[in-house]
Amino acid sequence: MLRSIKSLCVGGLVALTMGSCWELEQDVLSGITQEQLDANVTPELIEVLKQSAYSAVVGNWGGHGGLYSAIEVSSDELSIPQKGADWEDGGIWLRAHRHAWINTDGPYNGAWQYAFGVVAEANLLIIQFPDLEELVAELKVLRALGYLWLIDNFGNVPIVVETDVAPNPPTNSRAEVFAFIESSILENADLLTRNNTRTNLNYWTAHMILAKLYLNAEVYIGQPRWAEAKAALDVIINEGPYSLAPNFFANFANSNSNSPENMFTLPYDANNAGGFNIHQMTFHYSTQQTFELQEQPWNGYAALEEFYNSYEDGDVRKNSLREGPQFRSDGVTPIIDASAEAGDPDGPEINFTPNINELAPNAFRQAGTRVNKFEIPLGSGPNLNNDFPIFRFADVLLMRAEASWRLGETAEALSFVNQVRERANVAPLTSIDADVLLAERGREMFAEGHRRSDLIRFGRFNDAWWEKSPSEPFRNLFPVPEAQLLANPNLTQNPGY
Amino acid sequence: MRNYLLKKKAFLMIATLMIISMATANAQGREVSGTILDATLKDPLPGVTVLIKGTTRGTTTDLDGQFRLNVQPGDETLVISFVGFTPQELPIGNQSVFNVELEEDIMSLQESVVIGYGTQDKKEITSAVASVGSEQFNRGNFTNPTQLLQGKVAGLSVTRPGGNPNSQPTVRLRGISSFGATQSPLIVLDGVIGASIDAVDPNDIETFDVLKDASAAAIYGTRGAAGVILITTKRGSSRKGVSNVTINSFGSADVATNLIPILSPEQFVERGGVDYGSKTDWRDEILQTAYNGTVNASVTGGFENTSYLASVNYRNNDGIIKGTNRETLNTRFNMNHGALNNRLRMNLSLSYTDTEAQDVNSEAVRYATVFNPTAPIRESGEEAERNFGGYFQRPLFDFYNPVALINQQKFTTEVRAALYSYRVEYDISDKITVASQFSQDKLTVLSTQFFSRQDFQTGFGRSGQAGQNMFDRTQSIWNGTIRFEDEIFDRMNFTFLLGGETQTFAERGMNASTARFLFDLGPNNLGAGGLRFGPGTGMDSFASRAVLNSFFGRANFNYSNTYFLSASLRAETYSGFGRDNQTGYFPAVSAGADFTQIFDMGIFSQFKPRASFGIVGQLPPSPTLALGIFGNGNRIPLNPDDPIGSVFVGPRRLSNPNPQLQWETTQEFTVGLDYGLFNGRVTGQMDYYQRNISDLIFNVTVGRGFPSAVEPGRPYTADNVWANVASLSSAGFEFLATVNDVKLGPVSWSPTLNFTIYKRTRISDLGAGSLSIGEIRQGVPGSPGQNDNPMIWNREGERIGDFYGPRLLGLTDGGEYILSGETPGEFERLGSALPTGDFGFSNTFVYGNWDLNFLLRGSWGHLIYNSFRGFYENADGASLTWNSVLTKNTPTAPLVTSTPSFSDLYLERGDFARLDNLQIGYNIPTGSASINNLRVYGGVQNLFTITQFSGVDPEVRWQDGDNPLAPGIERRNTYFLPRIWTMGLTLTFK
Repeated sequence: MLRSIKSLCVGGLVALTMGSCWELEQDVLSGITQEQLDANVTPELIEVLKQSAYSAVVGNWGGHGGLYSAIEVSSDELSIPQKGADWEDGGIWLRAHRHAWINTDGPYNGAWQYAFGVVAEANLLIIQFPDLEELVAELKVLRALGYLWLIDNFGNVPIVVETDVAPNPPTNSRAEVFAFIESSILENADLLTRNNTRTNLNYWTAHMILAKLYLNAEVYIGQPRWAEAKAALDVIINEGPYSLAPNFFANFANSNSNSPENMFTLPYDANNAGGFNIHQMTFHYSTQQTFELQEQPWNGYAALEEFYNSYEDGDVRKNSLREGPQFRSDGVTPIIDASAEAGDPDGPEINFTPNINELAPNAFRQAGTRVNKFEIPLGSGPNLNNDFPIFRFADVLLMRAEASWRLGETAEALSFVNQVRERANVAPLTSIDADVLLAERGREMFAEGHRRSDLIRFGRFNDAWWEKSPSEPFRNLFPVPEAQLLANPNLTQNPGY
Repeated sequence: MRNYLLKKKAFLMIATLMIISMATANAQGREVSGTILDATLKDPLPGVTVLIKGTTRGTTTDLDGQFRLNVQPGDETLVISFVGFTPQELPIGNQSVFNVELEEDIMSLQESVVIGYGTQDKKEITSAVASVGSEQFNRGNFTNPTQLLQGKVAGLSVTRPGGNPNSQPTVRLRGISSFGATQSPLIVLDGVIGASIDAVDPNDIETFDVLKDASAAAIYGTRGAAGVILITTKRGSSRKGVSNVTINSFGSADVATNLIPILSPEQFVERGGVDYGSKTDWRDEILQTAYNGTVNASVTGGFENTSYLASVNYRNNDGIIKGTNRETLNTRFNMNHGALNNRLRMNLSLSYTDTEAQDVNSEAVRYATVFNPTAPIRESGEEAERNFGGYFQRPLFDFYNPVALINQQKFTTEVRAALYSYRVEYDISDKITVASQFSQDKLTVLSTQFFSRQDFQTGFGRSGQAGQNMFDRTQSIWNGTIRFEDEIFDRMNFTFLLGGETQTFAERGMNASTARFLFDLGPNNLGAGGLRFGPGTGMDSFASRAVLNSFFGRANFNYSNTYFLSASLRAETYSGFGRDNQTGYFPAVSAGADFTQIFDMGIFSQFKPRASFGIVGQLPPSPTLALGIFGNGNRIPLNPDDPIGSVFVGPRRLSNPNPQLQWETTQEFTVGLDYGLFNGRVTGQMDYYQRNISDLIFNVTVGRGFPSAVEPGRPYTADNVWANVASLSSAGFEFLATVNDVKLGPVSWSPTLNFTIYKRTRISDLGAGSLSIGEIRQGVPGSPGQNDNPMIWNREGERIGDFYGPRLLGLTDGGEYILSGETPGEFERLGSALPTGDFGFSNTFVYGNWDLNFLLRGSWGHLIYNSFRGFYENADGASLTWNSVLTKNTPTAPLVTSTPSFSDLYLERGDFARLDNLQIGYNIPTGSASINNLRVYGGVQNLFTITQFSGVDPEVRWQDGDNPLAPGIERRNTYFLPRIWTMGLTLTFK
């Protein structure tokens, strides 16, 4: 008997030391495994994965705290005034508007992650389906779009492609990034569909990326490429399926997916694809009563007075900003803010005045005109349905005008600008200069995420305005975020930071 | 796994065969007989073991305490033993009748310590183990068993800030032990590892044994890193025919205390607040005096070779906030049976607990404190009636009527915890015992949420929202052990334990919620909600299953009751580890020597220095993290014109695979001293430990699409990866002293003091290989306006849980801040959120039939961010909308007028001493033969707190919600603190 015990003990000891030969398979009961994905490659799955890659672009663009916020608040069209405790947020929005940001401020990391998220989705799908030529070409153009945002906002960033294997890729120069975007488009555009795909990139929007790259070439690489920009835009204008929508605001309506003008939109959907919250970001808490909103708006983004004043009366686009006394949804009952500041000359009846008394710390809650470009149906929830136009044909026309003007072709420039002005119900221009062109772009493209880039290209980003002092030229690039530097020791910080 | 089970079945069969063969063994010789009596009661004792020394031959006494036994020529000594009594050895000689009286041995019961897969004599313990018996428990109305231990064990911190009857205490042993995995000690309930704490009622607990250091916990391998709490429930007595019925019932009244002072309606208006013309004490409106009741009834007894305990525990606790309630009904049945002369012992434990909890939105606390005091509760008017159910509401940011909030939102949770445990033990010989235990622990949680159509907080026009969640967990454990005990050579006693164990964890559940109702239907008709997806709605389900296989062994040596050595090893294979790292080994060794057995130590009756070292692990929080599975991504309509009919859900990788993912590893070295003075009048222990935790599991953010540092040659396919990335180091000193029975005239006083001094935990390493994570900043104060300034910075080389921010250098004449810095680059370290020490001072006084118990406990050295002050004490624009707090720490000359922003102004020292619980009892002499004991008692919990802290509760905040990287924050939703008065009665009768 003792022997059997001994052998049990010995057996146990052997088991103790041999434990490593056990192999336990981990069941996956509610997740999806890589094996399941690989075994079920259907056209539908490929399509779903492709649209999922696009949904990375959709996800974080139209919300607060990322790339859109970084671009808009650093420009002269929008600010987030601090209203007492509201919007203090560690001073990040004041620093954003005053060009005093530091690399630990959240929006820049959000912007970096967003743009690289687009790059990543493209790379991952290319790795997964390397043999699907058209899909790979489209994904490389999508990746180029990610890099267009990166070259514009951060300049010097690592170029990551599907074949890279070494962790922590080092920073590439802005010129290298420029060349990478350029070649990505030139090599792949012809493989893309020429159909008006709206929510996916196509041959035409690939040329739009190229045109944006060339139009800003002087900023990006120190060499102007106006003629190439013009050529790329001519492809879209002369051969593409786009035209101006007769009604300016149809481009921003709740259901705007059939606008002939919108070339590439992010297909937001209140239920399927949330994340577009401009009404929450901009409107006063009590605007809830105007639109019977499900949630209280946050009373953040407000337009600068000077920007508001750049619109002449009669310009239909002036309604892109909401101004004046505010009413309930019945349109007649004034909205009362019982806790309006004692010093506020407008009193408790809410009135969005163009003038904002100060940026901080005690801006009046109701001061400033608000972003009103996107239609807000009564009863909206926190997510809007409006598809956000990333590329719009009016932008093509204005860029084309600028390219001609830069090349000294004033008459041609005027003809393109005036197409846009005509639709806005304002008199055609008879002469043109930098200020006029920049202002026209501002009025047309307000709150669509273009202003910062335009200001830099026209050399006005470092100017003083309202409560912002002149800024150093190095502010034309955002800093590489602290979190990224810590995570990747091979990154190089941008000059000046 | 399956093979392993087969092996164990074979093992059990062999054991059974051996049992049968030995039971049938018989031999020739003469017969002796006798009767065994309880020396005190003179009652016969059934079930007493009578054994011939040096053999396996023996018997047990029958109902009348009688036995008969064959003795062989050469048999010399009878050994008569019974649990709880001092064993006796009698020479056989020619005697044939043995009438023996056994003395009860209370000390032997107390000195036995449960150490995991067995017990050990306390004097042999060489690692840091603390035992707390029921007589030492905290006294009062406690719903969670761990509260009985609060302040009783050095190094064990049990905290429950605020007084919500539904909030569970946070339990930490020797401080922070992890970033991303569990930090709560492993609960082992009557041998059931990882049992739900819900499965036992506090009233049924006999003892807690806390395995504090890694050498003691190493026998539990990958789950012991946060320490182990072994809970032993009460058992029946095996005395013949004796049954005891105990009824304990008490009522309590809970009253809110320590409300943060706020401005009166008049003061509020004077400061410029908007005057709505009414006067409302919002806290008064949502608070109540909670009258609560508890009844425990149990029957214990024994007959033949069987003993049992049956108990039922009912607790009903209202919270001091209206609408919070917790009602628990627990039933337990423990049965022990000895067969084959008590060599085969079987045990059955069944328990079932049903808890129904009702809760309110915790933000009601915040709004009740700062909602406009001039606002009425209700207002008339068609609009208020239609939109808000008649409540006063205004569309201002973060401004919700607290009375509406607690009435228009309802949350319920029902927890059903069932535990079945079966154990069989057989003494193959007097040296070898085999045992096997199977247990199943089932937990079902059903919860509901309901938001009225007129609830303003969910969203205007959302028209109601409701949801249900179901969660089901089953853990099954089957183990087998063999124990060998012998004097291997002169005075060298040796105990050897070998075992195997397999455990499975299965979970599943589903969640559903819909919105947009025509009527307020509550949560039970989700189909009536028109919206099935979008904000506030959804449906999902999940399931997981994991397996943990283990082998373990332990050897204990005792030389001459002087030198002690213990060594153990556990090998564990877990399905949820990365495939490259599935099996871990967890060794431990400890040794000690009682010097009083070697030298004359004067006043010392025990002086046992000891040292121990062990390695323990911690599991990842979920078993599929190493695999990098895909979950559900965005809803993708393939046809944009048909967003409903053409929609698919895109798969999205939840985290990157990490084939190297493994357990967290804790290495701990302890030196300690067990001491006794003046013949055991003073006893205690001291421990110094050093702990290094490496391979901390953390969810690291990585660059999706970038080349992976974890899977070389592949890209990251998700935004995060669970990896072993950080190391912590900590140390501490623990002290315990008990003085027994100090005579103060006719009063006997027994004080116990314990304290812990922590060397705060440092992050010795952050990042692994090319996976770097920088520093982890967490804990933003919140909205409005303080969403982007994390207060706690966890940096490599520094302490975990340090506040960083600007210092307040002073105020301008106008009350504006003068801060030491504006941007994070200029911020400085302001202090630690974690304590440098804890203490507990327990006292028992006995005077005749009277007794008095109280516990004074506290912590020191930790800072707390007082959120109410951080948002609502400045006389700025916000004070027009929200009421202001005015605490003893609020600067008033001048009042601060700046917009609130974080600085050390709002950090307060959390040092406190609290009279935690006190009870006075009187044992009424009844003279009745059938009544053993009749006791009446009254007591109070949270009688007073001495502290400089001006918030709700200066208790240590080990974590913020579930986040251990943001300690030290008292949030604005901290439940109010009650003072609890109790009055009760205990009756025991035959």
